[in-house]
Amino acid sequence: MALIKESDDLIIARKALVFQKAETEKLAAELRIANYARSLIEASLDPLVTISTKGKITDMNEAFVNSTGMTRKKLIGTHFFDYFTEPQKAREVYQEVFAQGSVADSPLTLRHKKGKLTDVLFNGSVYKDDKANVLGVVVVARDITDQKCNATKLNEAIVFAELATGIAEEAKRKAESATGIAEDAVKAKQQFLSNMSHEIRTPMNAIIGFTKVMLKTDLSAKQKEYLTAIKMSGDALIVLINDILDLAKVDAGKMIFEEIPFKMALSLSAMLHLFETKIREKNIVLVKEYDKKIPEVLVGDPVRLHQIILNLVSNAVKFTAEGTITVSVRLLNEDEKKATIEFAVKDTGIGIPENKTGDIFKNFQQASSGTSRLYGGTGLGLAIVKQLVESQGGNIHVTSKLDKGSTFSFTLSFQKTNAKAEMEAEIAELDAEIKDMKVLVVEDIALNQLLMKTLLDDFGFECDIAANGKIAVEKIHSKSYDIILMDLQMPEMNGFEATDYIRRIMHSEIPIIALTADVTTVDLEKCKVVGMNDYIAKPVDERLLYSKIIGLVKKPFPANAIAIEENTHNESKKLKCTDLDYLIHRTKSNPTLMMEMIALYLEQTPPLIKAMNKSFQSKDWNSLYSAVHKMIPSFAIMGISIDFENMAKKVQEYASTQKQGDGIHDLVQQLGNICTQACCELEEEFKRIKSANP
Amino acid sequence: MNTKKIKIFLVDDDAVYLKSLEIEFLQHADFSIKTFATGEHCLSAISQNPDIIILDYLLDGIDKSAMNGIETLDKIKAYNHDIPVVMLSAQDKIDVAIDCMHHKALDYVVKSETAFIRLQKIITTIFRYKKMEKELNWYMGKM
Repeated sequence: MALIKESDDLIIARKALVFQKAETEKLAAELRIANYARSLIEASLDPLVTISTKGKITDMNEAFVNSTGMTRKKLIGTHFFDYFTEPQKAREVYQEVFAQGSVADSPLTLRHKKGKLTDVLFNGSVYKDDKANVLGVVVVARDITDQKCNATKLNEAIVFAELATGIAEEAKRKAESATGIAEDAVKAKQQFLSNMSHEIRTPMNAIIGFTKVMLKTDLSAKQKEYLTAIKMSGDALIVLINDILDLAKVDAGKMIFEEIPFKMALSLSAMLHLFETKIREKNIVLVKEYDKKIPEVLVGDPVRLHQIILNLVSNAVKFTAEGTITVSVRLLNEDEKKATIEFAVKDTGIGIPENKTGDIFKNFQQASSGTSRLYGGTGLGLAIVKQLVESQGGNIHVTSKLDKGSTFSFTLSFQKTNAKAEMEAEIAELDAEIKDMKVLVVEDIALNQLLMKTLLDDFGFECDIAANGKIAVEKIHSKSYDIILMDLQMPEMNGFEATDYIRRIMHSEIPIIALTADVTTVDLEKCKVVGMNDYIAKPVDERLLYSKIIGLVKKPFPANAIAIEENTHNESKKLKCTDLDYLIHRTKSNPTLMMEMIALYLEQTPPLIKAMNKSFQSKDWNSLYSAVHKMIPSFAIMGISIDFENMAKKVQEYASTQKQGDGIHDLVQQLGNICTQACCELEEEFKRIKSANP
Repeated sequence: MNTKKIKIFLVDDDAVYLKSLEIEFLQHADFSIKTFATGEHCLSAISQNPDIIILDYLLDGIDKSAMNGIETLDKIKAYNHDIPVVMLSAQDKIDVAIDCMHHKALDYVVKSETAFIRLQKIITTIFRYKKMEKELNWYMGKM
């Protein structure tokens, strides 16, 4: 029995032992889990801390220790909010945790005992025992120092960006003003070039002209040689001046290309004739290859095409001592509307080093500085060629081998046409039939008078001289002439005024050729407007002068003059004072808008004219001023000449000084007339547009 | 903002010039344009809050009783100081320009060939400035 009992005890003891062991294992396992959790907590970079219900710290992790700089021992049992920069706020936050059970992302700042601050976002929640009694709060304080830092950096970046924008704006303003200055400089340069060329041309006119005249007199061989030298230098100088002027024009985008039908083959061979002498002198060969497939008549600017090829061929001739120059013209492709043609000028001259082929198209550049010493030239030729080709939408290439030769080729497109080519001003041969031609030369400079007289005497024409427009008008009254050669700049009455007088007051249709040293488009435009038939640039080329005189006198009524006469019957040839170009441009030729504008003008202007006249008569200067003032803007819109605008401004000036000046009556009357005329014309235009756009 | 058209008032008693400006504006950008022959008409529509007003200086040239440009300008500014007003005039006179500036006009443009381009530039500047001001305010609010 005792044995049994003993064994029972043993069993119980063993059971207890097993239980104990299990308990120990369980404890060990729990301990492992606790350790594991602990090490996780300790590893966290965010400060973690537990707080009792009284606000005392009960536990914390390493990160919290690091943030405060205190030891764990010192921390435990202290008030947790002592470690924040704003203890009151910290207290409120943890009280909130107790009240609400949790709090999220409340911003606070931890203070290290050495003063370092750590910005944290405070997250906390209560923890409870198994009977749901609140034991304390677990707090996770997320370290947001980096975040804050980034935010600050971002703000700084924004400020910098704004500053940079400011600087950029400033730079832009500066750049804009610099552009303005540069543009002004370009304008000034152009003005200078055009003025200079004018000033140089005038004396050159006399030099070359008299040299030519003198060459026709009896001379000794030596004298002839010297004079020829003068003439050649003069011609070269004129070419140079023209080149400079051309370049300035292209630079300013003012080069205007004509679009006229011309015969390409004829035009080219005529030009190549010019080189014959030179080529024979140098004993080289000029070969012309012309593609027969090229349409006979094309639309383009033959003068500029000449200029391009002339420049290229004269370069080729200049740099070739022996061998061949080949000018080839090939049709690249053609469609219904246009033909693209490749022109090539090939020589066997000195060639261009490969690394210089890009430079030679620049202004004042030659392949080497020695080139100009040996061969002369300014280095403008190719620059002009490039500009001329490119502004017509073509492109130019060069291939070259040193000492072997160069090939310059360019392509241009020409429009095709069915129209016949205008007869180019063919140089008419001296015609025996036209002998007793009476020419009036209106020119104020004695030298030029003499030169023109000599030239015309040579042609066998009878010649009278008038020193200015006024004398010319008197002469026309007393004697009849076949043609007038009219200088533009003269004292007393200039060429424009004289022509205007002859056309409008005398109603004479006598052909008038303008003589001008300054061939700007503005002047040419003005010549046309006052009713001149043609112009000729100084220095006068005698053959051109002859052919122009003959051309005009042979058909005394050019086509457009006849048309105008038919329209106006016995009325004098009335020039249109309005020009709808501006309006067409502005409205993009929208007929409705144009009609609206014109209608407004027609409505507004007559009352203004009335107001102007009335206030002028009653000497109501203020009203006169405002009436004229109101007229001014519409002048430009309706394309009325700037002269009238200036006239209006003059009237304004008179009106504002409140006194009757000389000629103000005249001005007011002229203004009234021009506006009335403008109204008539615009009414016609209005009807025309209306009928064309029903 | 982007979908809303810029509203411009043009005021000029020169009907021809007024029309030509209107045409230019309509062709160059998608503006909403209102034209007025007198300052009085412009003011009666001022409650539509135009973005920009372009105003002729000499509005009383023909009709002496009409309100002149400066008076109109003052009334516009009294209604809303922030409406930019650009003055237009046919005369290129320094005292006219100064007069306009004294009455708080934003700019002064002479009626010439380049007038429209000037106006275009001014309008662009106004809007660029406005945009910068808005951005600045936004950033200030952020900071």
